[in-house]
Amino acid sequence: MIQLGISAFYHDSAACLVIDGQVVAAVEEERFTGIKHDSSFPINAINWCLKYSRVKLSSVDQVCWYENPKLKRHRVLSIFNNHFFRTFFHRINYLFNYNKQNPKKILKKGGFKGEITYTDHHQSHAAFSYYTSKYKDAAIVTIDGVGEWETTTISRVNDKSIEKLLGIDFPNSLGLLYSTITAYLGFKPNEGEYKVMGLAPYGDFTKYTEQLGKLIRHTSNKFYLYQRPFTWEYSNKVMFNKHLCRTLGLLPRLPEEPITQEHRDLAASLQKVYEIEFSRLLRTAKNLTKSSNLCLGGGCAYNGVANALAYKYFDSVHIPFAPSDAGSAIGACLHHYNGDKKDNTNPYLGPDFKDIEVYKSIQKYDKIRSYRLSDDLLIKKVAEIISKQKIVAWFQGKMEFGARALGNRSILAAPQDPKMRDKLNLVVKKREGFRPFAPSVIEEEASTFFDIKEPVPYMNIVVKSKTKKIPSATHIDMSARVQTVNEKQNKKYYLLLKEIKKLTGSPILLNTSFNLKDQTITLTPDQAIERFLNSRIDFLVINNYLIQKV
Amino acid sequence: MKKEVKKLTKEEKKREKEFEERLKELRKRDPFIYKNF
Repeated sequence: MIQLGISAFYHDSAACLVIDGQVVAAVEEERFTGIKHDSSFPINAINWCLKYSRVKLSSVDQVCWYENPKLKRHRVLSIFNNHFFRTFFHRINYLFNYNKQNPKKILKKGGFKGEITYTDHHQSHAAFSYYTSKYKDAAIVTIDGVGEWETTTISRVNDKSIEKLLGIDFPNSLGLLYSTITAYLGFKPNEGEYKVMGLAPYGDFTKYTEQLGKLIRHTSNKFYLYQRPFTWEYSNKVMFNKHLCRTLGLLPRLPEEPITQEHRDLAASLQKVYEIEFSRLLRTAKNLTKSSNLCLGGGCAYNGVANALAYKYFDSVHIPFAPSDAGSAIGACLHHYNGDKKDNTNPYLGPDFKDIEVYKSIQKYDKIRSYRLSDDLLIKKVAEIISKQKIVAWFQGKMEFGARALGNRSILAAPQDPKMRDKLNLVVKKREGFRPFAPSVIEEEASTFFDIKEPVPYMNIVVKSKTKKIPSATHIDMSARVQTVNEKQNKKYYLLLKEIKKLTGSPILLNTSFNLKDQTITLTPDQAIERFLNSRIDFLVINNYLIQKV
Repeated sequence: MKKEVKKLTKEEKKREKEFEERLKELRKRDPFIYKNF
């Protein structure tokens, strides 16, 4: 059975190809268009998936759409009815786009005549999380901004299928609350949430927790958000109104304004409130399912600090490599696949480039010198370069699916150098100085350096560092969003980490995504070379080519 | 029963005005489009 999964028209559009329950290709549209979180129909991603898998669109048995457009329309029109005059033009716009964005019409135009299935937004999140895990039984918790109606669900796995036990509907949304305060702090919603998480440890959470907590009330299993301070039902621009300003007693920050202690305190308070509500949901999930395994899904599953709290209730926690909407393209396919569960733990599902293609790219540029080395020599040489406090862009094999660079499209550096964080933040990535970088560590030695319960292959749980020797890859509170690497998962990167240990004493590298300010992660060798030449990265490695500037 | 209306102090009025102006500024700039529908 050949399935084409599609996620589109919200954020993080993506496509994947699944053959007999095995994901063979997956990529986000943003990687081709360069538009971060691109929400357009993923035509480039679909074309690549089909070309890579040597499958024609006419051979696809089933297209799996990641959400239910009709149910979503019901929610949108229902909330518009609550604010008829305010939303008059929104309604016209929405209905115009709704017709243009009809999956059936688009696919028919492209020549597809087969079956199209629609899966509820949170069902796709839940399916992606569970079917990419190693568990037989599990509790599944999904949290995001909003899908059709639902913003939060709790499910359990019952005889291989997912049974939903609880759902919380719009406008009661932890994701939207987080995004609103992100906007309040002068960052972009759906993108700046990482910045808020990074800012939180610098603040005092007691300052605004009470004010934010007052916006939420509870029943035994659910939460409700007072809507007066929010504009979610009638606006898609500024997400809050004067009532929120009054509640917080703080002026919303403009992006160009400096970050003050009050902003840090608000970030800390938001994170605290999210953690309290998240813990309540986990407790409910535990009580309802009695499972010892947890699968997390939805955009909020990128909140690594909160995710660590899950170990209070569950023995084992799985957070997939792309828990937001991109991963739902895969989730929708796996939800409709009836065969046995396959091993879909591999996050390296995107485009790769043969040496001949890399060679052709190198030939186009005068200002570089390249050396093609054997695997052993390359790893030795790169480890040596990094241990001399140089920055290396590392471009290998298939691109990662999801927001994290997991050692195939990464910028690598020595975390032991205390100045490296500022150098990377301010000079290379040109981003806010307070933002932390993540460490990669070989799996078998992870517990020596980090307070870790189990392997974290996708860099989505924040843990405490046990060592002070890696200041550039730990945050101010000694926390680290660690990635554990084993040989099976990524052999070349694993061997590089082992080599690094010989030179520095610890098998740890600072790993950040290979992109510069406001760019999407590097897709092609041409792009890699251009970015290398336009930055202060010292060396570039593409496959086995070691490249330096002339 | 007559509803009691709390009178704002001078400082509170000033603050209210600041909030209004900031929101106006944000709407004018339209810095963030959150795709909610």
